Amino acid sequence: MSEPTVSGESAANGSVPAPALSVRNLSTVFESPQRTVHAVRDVSFDMRPTERLGVVGESGSGKSALALSILGLIEPPGRVVGGEIMLGGRDISKLSDRSLGAVRGKDIALVLQDPMSALDPVKTIGYQVIEAIAAHEGELRRSAARKRAAELLGEVDIPQAERRLDDYPHQYSGGMRQRVAIAMAIAHNPSVLIADEPTTALDVTTQSQVLALLDRLVEQHGTAVILITHNLGIVSDFCDAVAVMYAGRFVETSGVDHIFLSPTHPYSEALLKCVPNPERLAEGPLPAITGFPPDLAQLPTGCSFQPRCPVGKDIPECQGQTPQPHTVEGPSGAASVECHFADQRIGQVKV
Amino acid sequence: MSAEDPKPSPGTSGTEMTSAPTALAASNGAAPPVLEAERLVKAFEIRSEERFGRKVPVTVLDDISLAVRKGESFGLVGESGCGKSTLARCLLRLLEPTAGRVLFEGQDLAELDREELRAMRRRMQFVFQDPFASLDPRMTAGQIVEEPLLVHEIGNSAERRAATFEMLADVGLTEEQAGRRPHAFSGGQRQRIGIARAFVLRPDVVILDEPISALDVSVQAQVLNLLRRLQTQLGLTYVFISHDLAVAEYFCDRVAVLYLGQVMELADREALFGKPLHPYSVSLLSAVPVPQAGGRSRRAKRAQPIGEVSSVVDRPKGCPFEPRCPVGRGRDVCKGERPPLVEHEPRHWAACHFPGEARTVAGADRAVQRPNGMS
Repeated sequence: MSEPTVSGESAANGSVPAPALSVRNLSTVFESPQRTVHAVRDVSFDMRPTERLGVVGESGSGKSALALSILGLIEPPGRVVGGEIMLGGRDISKLSDRSLGAVRGKDIALVLQDPMSALDPVKTIGYQVIEAIAAHEGELRRSAARKRAAELLGEVDIPQAERRLDDYPHQYSGGMRQRVAIAMAIAHNPSVLIADEPTTALDVTTQSQVLALLDRLVEQHGTAVILITHNLGIVSDFCDAVAVMYAGRFVETSGVDHIFLSPTHPYSEALLKCVPNPERLAEGPLPAITGFPPDLAQLPTGCSFQPRCPVGKDIPECQGQTPQPHTVEGPSGAASVECHFADQRIGQVKV
Repeated sequence: MSAEDPKPSPGTSGTEMTSAPTALAASNGAAPPVLEAERLVKAFEIRSEERFGRKVPVTVLDDISLAVRKGESFGLVGESGCGKSTLARCLLRLLEPTAGRVLFEGQDLAELDREELRAMRRRMQFVFQDPFASLDPRMTAGQIVEEPLLVHEIGNSAERRAATFEMLADVGLTEEQAGRRPHAFSGGQRQRIGIARAFVLRPDVVILDEPISALDVSVQAQVLNLLRRLQTQLGLTYVFISHDLAVAEYFCDRVAVLYLGQVMELADREALFGKPLHPYSVSLLSAVPVPQAGGRSRRAKRAQPIGEVSSVVDRPKGCPFEPRCPVGRGRDVCKGERPPLVEHEPRHWAACHFPGEARTVAGADRAVQRPNGMS
């Protein structure tokens, strides 16, 4: 990608802070004797400290594979086949499992959709939080560890944190469990937090509380957050930059307002338009995206969205040539778009 | 949870409430009610840790009255645990209510004998949330859709076959696909099979329990469009259960907001989403992220929801929402008295001592929420 800074702010800003995370040409495949699935394809981006990047797309677009690749958690038959992941000045993609273990959970952490995947049902909350703290601090005195754990739970708004350390996960509500998972992820003030659908399993009022908690994390600790979601409303509510992912690529990256005011890639437009909007009731059926996401083992030649694309379906250029990232200047800022029609479409699409 | 149905817990029966929303439906010239709940109560017995493992009755539905009118899409919204799925199951008598009545076209379902209930069931169908769990993996799509016809002994095998293929075509699946088993289909296609199975009996009422929430965004739109088209085509009445208010606003004509097993507010779509009266509806609506520019400043302006849903075991004595309410928290009347469901404006019901006040207190009016404005 020629212009990997997502929000496009650094160009205008004279002194550029060192990126919290810098991903270059990251590619991940899942291999079997019969087929090779290209889940992440040559993805590059930078994140400043405090930046909040939303990654959106349908299931199977490679969002979660990207998260796991960055964290070095891809398991066979998958593997990262290329690229650099610069975190705090070193390339963590080249680290051994053991050195990576020292980084993961400390400098970069992960929160998943289902908090129970981070919690062991047969151990107390306190035990697990202390375990998360001790993982990167070695031996701790019991009383000191308990105190730290209670503070951490207090920080994520668990009421009567001290007393509730001895509870088991099932005694916590879904929202509280997710907050505990976040507490464990932020125990060492990571510089980057990857949250994969962190609020999808939660009710709207609880979701709002979790987003407020992530706000505090960014503001108080300068953490950069990658928020993976399929909900464009949450992107608007939380993020300042957004990457639309399709078939393992970032097909459109921009500041957050751009995607809502002038989405440029036909896929971004389609994704926005299929969200039920009561204001458009009179316009008849929702404009659903036709067809299916492409088979990542047999990608079409040219643009991977082309077979479903209302703009490029029958255009020889779209069928034959892979569109390169292309920076366009729109009414609401710059965007990097992988579409042959980006120049014609910028500022022309209203959703 | 045990299967025993104890008496409703004390305090649920003493409230002042007429079965007003039911009566209303008939009085204002709207379409006649098809499905009515009259003072419906459902209680379960659970072993509560809060009570040291003793069995305690838990009232999951607490005195619910409402009427679903012919041809409409009636929305039941609320957060998890509010009782919306239990209510739906009671409406179809898949669960036996502890007290109160369910009327289908004016007839009390409890008075029907087995055979009559069976016949009635044919006219009321259910579409489940999870298209992965609700289809038998050993049956083909065609067998799944044909099964209800077999159960109800409709037609001969050729007729059933024809009806099955017609139904599958209606939901966009081919005859060739009818021979495949569920695992060969995507989530959206499985939900289409679930819909075909519910609709093949040509029911009058279909309860849709979160029919799209397990699906991908792009597929949600296709399934909503399909449900809309079938409703017009077949003249169906829908009860649409959703925790997603944006989807409910898009899809439903009237909406009931449930909280801890009680109806907090019941109104036409425009009134409920444009001018909500109950503070709970207001906080629920303002918590929905809207996919439009400027979300962060909108979110900064709105009030954070307070705390979490109270436990059904320790249900507040007065208004169930009082402990979290930006308007009524700590107010004596809200703590002490359960507000009755009252028609504050024509066709707009709310159970609140201070209806409408939350819109100003929380600063969470839809005008703030929706920059383009819809009210």
